[in-house]
Amino acid sequence: MNTSVQTVPASSSPAPTISPWTQSSSRWIERNRQKLVLPFLVVISVLIFASSAPGFLSLENITNIARQSVYLMVVALAQMMVLIGGGLDLSVGSVVALSSVVGATVMAWCMQTWPDSPGLAMAAGTVAGLTCGAIVGVFNGIGSAVMRIPSFMVTLGMSSVVLGVTLLVSGGVPVYGLPAEFGEIFGFGRVAGIPVPVLIAILMIVLVYLLMEWTRYGRHLYAVGGNQRAAELSGIRTKRVSIIVFMLSGMLAALTGLLLTARLDTGESTIGATLPLESIAACVIAGVALTGGMGRTLPVVVGTLLIVLVQNGMNLMQVGAYAQTMVVGGILIVSMGLSRH
Amino acid sequence: MNSASANLVADAPALRAVGLVKRYGSHVALKGVNLTIAPGSVHILFGENGAGKSTLISMLAGANVPSEGHIETGGHRGAFASVAEARAHGVRAVFQEFSLVPHLTVAENISLGDEPLAGFGLLAKTLAYTRAQRLITELGFDIDAAARIEDLARGKQQMVEICKAVAQAPRVLILDEPTASLSEHDAQALFALMNRLKAAGTAIIYITHRMHEIPLVGDMVTVLRDGQQIATVPTSTPESELVALMTGRTVSNIYPEPRSEPPGPLRLRLEHLYTADGTVMDASLQLRAGEIVGIAGLVGCGKSELGQACYGLRRISRGTFEFDDQPRRFGHPADAIAAGVWYSPPDRKRDGLAMMRPASENMTLSALLFGADRGKRLRPKGEAATVARLCEQVDFSLARSVESVSNFSGGNQQKVLLAKGLAQEVGVYIFDEPTVGVDVGARQSIYQYLARLSNSGAAILLISSDLPELMGMSHRMLVMRNGRMVAEFAREAFDEQQILEYFFE
Repeated sequence: MNTSVQTVPASSSPAPTISPWTQSSSRWIERNRQKLVLPFLVVISVLIFASSAPGFLSLENITNIARQSVYLMVVALAQMMVLIGGGLDLSVGSVVALSSVVGATVMAWCMQTWPDSPGLAMAAGTVAGLTCGAIVGVFNGIGSAVMRIPSFMVTLGMSSVVLGVTLLVSGGVPVYGLPAEFGEIFGFGRVAGIPVPVLIAILMIVLVYLLMEWTRYGRHLYAVGGNQRAAELSGIRTKRVSIIVFMLSGMLAALTGLLLTARLDTGESTIGATLPLESIAACVIAGVALTGGMGRTLPVVVGTLLIVLVQNGMNLMQVGAYAQTMVVGGILIVSMGLSRH
Repeated sequence: MNSASANLVADAPALRAVGLVKRYGSHVALKGVNLTIAPGSVHILFGENGAGKSTLISMLAGANVPSEGHIETGGHRGAFASVAEARAHGVRAVFQEFSLVPHLTVAENISLGDEPLAGFGLLAKTLAYTRAQRLITELGFDIDAAARIEDLARGKQQMVEICKAVAQAPRVLILDEPTASLSEHDAQALFALMNRLKAAGTAIIYITHRMHEIPLVGDMVTVLRDGQQIATVPTSTPESELVALMTGRTVSNIYPEPRSEPPGPLRLRLEHLYTADGTVMDASLQLRAGEIVGIAGLVGCGKSELGQACYGLRRISRGTFEFDDQPRRFGHPADAIAAGVWYSPPDRKRDGLAMMRPASENMTLSALLFGADRGKRLRPKGEAATVARLCEQVDFSLARSVESVSNFSGGNQQKVLLAKGLAQEVGVYIFDEPTVGVDVGARQSIYQYLARLSNSGAAILLISSDLPELMGMSHRMLVMRNGRMVAEFAREAFDEQQILEYFFE
């Protein structure tokens, strides 16, 4: 007699899949708590503001929310990618300021030198800003992936370094002298009635979505965040993956800085300070795991909209800026509490 | 061991479980188990992964509350609401998931929660150290109480965990597969300790997948299958009968016949190989296509490190490393896979799988770089076909492959890990402890898988601490000790006693 034959097959016991409606609804809510937190919060806030904030649901205000959310949206996408890869990027705020100041300085210098070619000035400033973001990101990536410093520490330190550089470059004062077209197109322009910054944010959402869901790099990022060691043993060059994600994050933050510069028409060293917290909040509300390896693009988009929507609603209800800061922090903590198992 | 000996006098069972039932939703994990364990006896729980052993012991240890039934121990009657309550009644468990603090020392871990104080509320560190070291020595283990947990191998950590549990002289001690990560030497020390605990009146509940341990350490054995208590029989029951009870079918030989054709061309050749960190010294080895070469030795003898060196995970400082007659040095696993070497790590949770990701994604992870569907863009259709093929090859449920790996039992997780190795064309496989912590049923399908690989012409290096497994599977066996190769045996000359002698100096 050779290997296993004969009689009574051992019935393996697969966990029975139970459809939601056969159980009590409380149990179903319990199981899907993580997924339900976000829609719940969105519905609650829309109901509250629709009833108590005048003009909240008007087309004008909705366009407003879309436009206001652009900046946080792009940074939240960056934060999401870093979080999924198992890191945390606290330098996004400083990078926004850096790219604003550097981009504006380069544009202003170009305008002085060649006053007749605003296109060249805008291109040079954009490239300079994005390059700064990429460089900061690569340093973050090397610090966390190669030198193995915890990423929150690297990026926190880098945040201070970058802020110092920004203040040094700008002298702490706004940078003027941008080409007028920059603000006209990228700050206030509209295509088919849709604000240009919104179009850019939509483009970024699509690109990040495609990168995360439809490319090998995205899959590798999930794997590195899920289990770095397992990814390494599967032949993935995990250091490269981590450095690239920090670089992408830096570049997206820099893009945000440039968009804000266009809106403000000056290079500012004081912008972006609230973005690290708000971007992490947008991701966490959307179910991105702080431990890495989990999270989807579209919920993060909704999470961002929720935060902006709450801020917008509070503005309409004339809640002060200080109280709003408290509310954003509160949302972060409450949503984490609700979604914890 | 006061509580235990007091109990001996009373002549009552050390622990009685009556009609324990556990339900999760509509799923019944445990369907009414009755256990009576006498003081000073070892009761073995035996069953496949998912049979309900873990559920049962987690309830006995207070980590889980039964849906029905109760537990009697000493004067206590009812369920345990918490691990602390179980401990207060003298029930201690050593689970496979350790409860040690990695950054603290062995002594600090052993005294955790019961630290000796020197006055003014300050810690008496020296006292804690000497106490811990004395305890370890008394128990017959060989661990430095000043070492940090994170610096210890898994087997040593296991022993610290046992020390912690035994320090308070429990009435009932639960051991969940303690020997899975122990070396032969340490396992012997554990068995000796168990005998002493028995003599002092401690009742021991012992879970193992190793058949040969059952008559060695146990008095009674309870077989579980699908949450049901199938039988409670003496440990003198023949192995084949126990396996039949466990699986519901008769298994006479779990090892498939090894490939009988002569081996093919030489794939891997090591000559006087040294690793930079000194874990492997002067290792020589030849591996041919279609051949399974076993590497035996104690935990820490360098056998695992040798496998890692072949995969670019450890730097080779000296010696010849030839792959298909070409001298090579792999700097990264990616180089090794590209050349055609695959390594399957022993600790699937730590090194093998991204637990929260779907099983399918884990399976095809390296295939995106090296398999048929490689490319920067994902190809869902091609990938789905690959997943279907892999599920078929390792006997894994295709329907459940979208679930995250953490939902699966140990045996199924191991299948996912093995599937990863089949996702791309590779000619040389290095398996490091491929059956650690999996039940006999899953073990058997893993052996079939190894045999199929070898029959298809793959060269396999099988690294294992389970000597019967190596003897059953390999064509040749090498024994390592202290980083060096000390013996080689051909299959005809396999002799357990003789091989074991080479394990020790």
